[in-house]
Amino acid sequence: MEKGKVFGLFIVAVAVVCIGGIAAVAYLNPFGAPEDAVDWNVTLIGCGGEEKVLTFDEIRAMPSYKGYGGFFTTVGVVNGPYKCKGVPLKDLCELVGGLDASNTVWVSAPDGYLMTFSYDQVNGDFRTYDSATFKEVPHEDLTLILMYEQDGAPLSDYDGRPLRLAIVSSSSSEEFLTEGHSWVKWVNKIEVRTPAASA
Amino acid sequence: MIKAKHIVVLALIAAVVLSAACISQDHGKSKLKVIYAGSLIIPFGELEQAFESEHPDVDVLVEGHGSIQAIRHITDVHEEYDVIAVADDSLVPAMMYPEYADWCVRFATNQMVIMYTNRSNYADEINDSNWYEILARPDVKFGFSNPMFDACGYRTLMLIPLAESYYGNQTIFDELIARNFDPPLPLIKDNGTYTVVVPEVFEPQGDKIAVRGGSVQLIALLDYGGIDYAFGYKSVAQQHELRYLELPAEIDLSSPDYCETYNKAKVTLGFQRFTSVDVERIGRPIFYGITVPKNAPNPELGVEFVNFVLSEEGQRILQDNNQPTIPPEADNSDKIPENLRYVVIKEIKE
Repeated sequence: MEKGKVFGLFIVAVAVVCIGGIAAVAYLNPFGAPEDAVDWNVTLIGCGGEEKVLTFDEIRAMPSYKGYGGFFTTVGVVNGPYKCKGVPLKDLCELVGGLDASNTVWVSAPDGYLMTFSYDQVNGDFRTYDSATFKEVPHEDLTLILMYEQDGAPLSDYDGRPLRLAIVSSSSSEEFLTEGHSWVKWVNKIEVRTPAASA
Repeated sequence: MIKAKHIVVLALIAAVVLSAACISQDHGKSKLKVIYAGSLIIPFGELEQAFESEHPDVDVLVEGHGSIQAIRHITDVHEEYDVIAVADDSLVPAMMYPEYADWCVRFATNQMVIMYTNRSNYADEINDSNWYEILARPDVKFGFSNPMFDACGYRTLMLIPLAESYYGNQTIFDELIARNFDPPLPLIKDNGTYTVVVPEVFEPQGDKIAVRGGSVQLIALLDYGGIDYAFGYKSVAQQHELRYLELPAEIDLSSPDYCETYNKAKVTLGFQRFTSVDVERIGRPIFYGITVPKNAPNPELGVEFVNFVLSEEGQRILQDNNQPTIPPEADNSDKIPENLRYVVIKEIKE
């Protein structure tokens, strides 16, 4: 057989194998990134009782913040760091009257999960950890955001689609982690409260 | 030309086989999904390996969380697991009955200790009669896990009020805990009972106390000298080769003999963190519970794994990894799968 023909058939075979591989990957869908439209609302409640409901698209239309962040679970499983994009939680609170040092912010999800954040935390005061040793390493420039994009793609269901809290830094030069319990998945309610009202 | 056709056909077959291999790699073995409390991570890692050795056709997938969060993965997030093991067996009936489970076997226990290292201030001085004085010293820092996230955290806040009663010293909670929060953390004393109310943001002032999400962070803090002492489970201290101080059984939550004493200490979360679980925790002896959820995708295999955990070999693996075991006891013995009934020595009546 001519060398050229053999080479051509070899290319065809490689292409077929590649197509098969792609088909397998598509079947397994390891990244699980959904592409369909997002029907999701977030209810914002101010400490004065003001209430506002934002759609997912309205949140995406707000000025975004991009940063890097990762977290670890209760048993020390490291997730990330990821490149995250979203809206600062503080900006969302501003839409219902903002907050001051006497307030806390409650962030919750339809699965019944609730996390409370102090004023300082909403402004980025979180403990940060070295990703290899879990040694506490102070890190400036942190922002708590409501994330809708992770590593350039919409969140998967597993990662909290469509909206999840994330603690990020604008700099990617130093890898750090925060505690995973603050990364609330499936966020649908943000409430600014005062301790008296909380009780 | 015929040869060329053969090559193309072979290539197509190869592609199909490769695709199938990619897929079957994920589906070839039976999956057994086990979710468990974080303090079981080391012994359950070994149980996983031993079970897989005995069952080469089974791939055990393990996942650790805080006990409440582990249950919530099943009840609230609606994920499916074949086995769940938690560090507070009372959470199973409270959070899973009757929809997600109707039996639970107690299989292990633990005790609260104070962990430390050779570098800890006063390491050679601390003992079971002066620990609260040592911890109160200005040059000593200590930590415990957040009661909102970790059973070990609310157990610490039960242990310290119980110490007031045991040592006859009504200032222990104030000196160790209350005054290190702003406003001071309230301890309500009422007719021999103690209730600690945890505020919605549980952050101490100053650096005397370190409150962290769990033992991972506390052990790192101990290792790096960020704190001198940390409250934790004896099994965890041993697994990480830390020094530890054993406390009197009357306060360490280890002994069923002191159940009534433990009941006098309560911790109330100041807000409903999870809609699916009560905000009040009552002091009890530490028991680990295990069950097969009703929605387990592979319940027979789940029961087989529970059987393995409760078997002589399973108990030996737990003990070898410093996880103390107890003779298995269960509630609702009539609901337990038949092939587990013979390992349960008695029915729990509470």
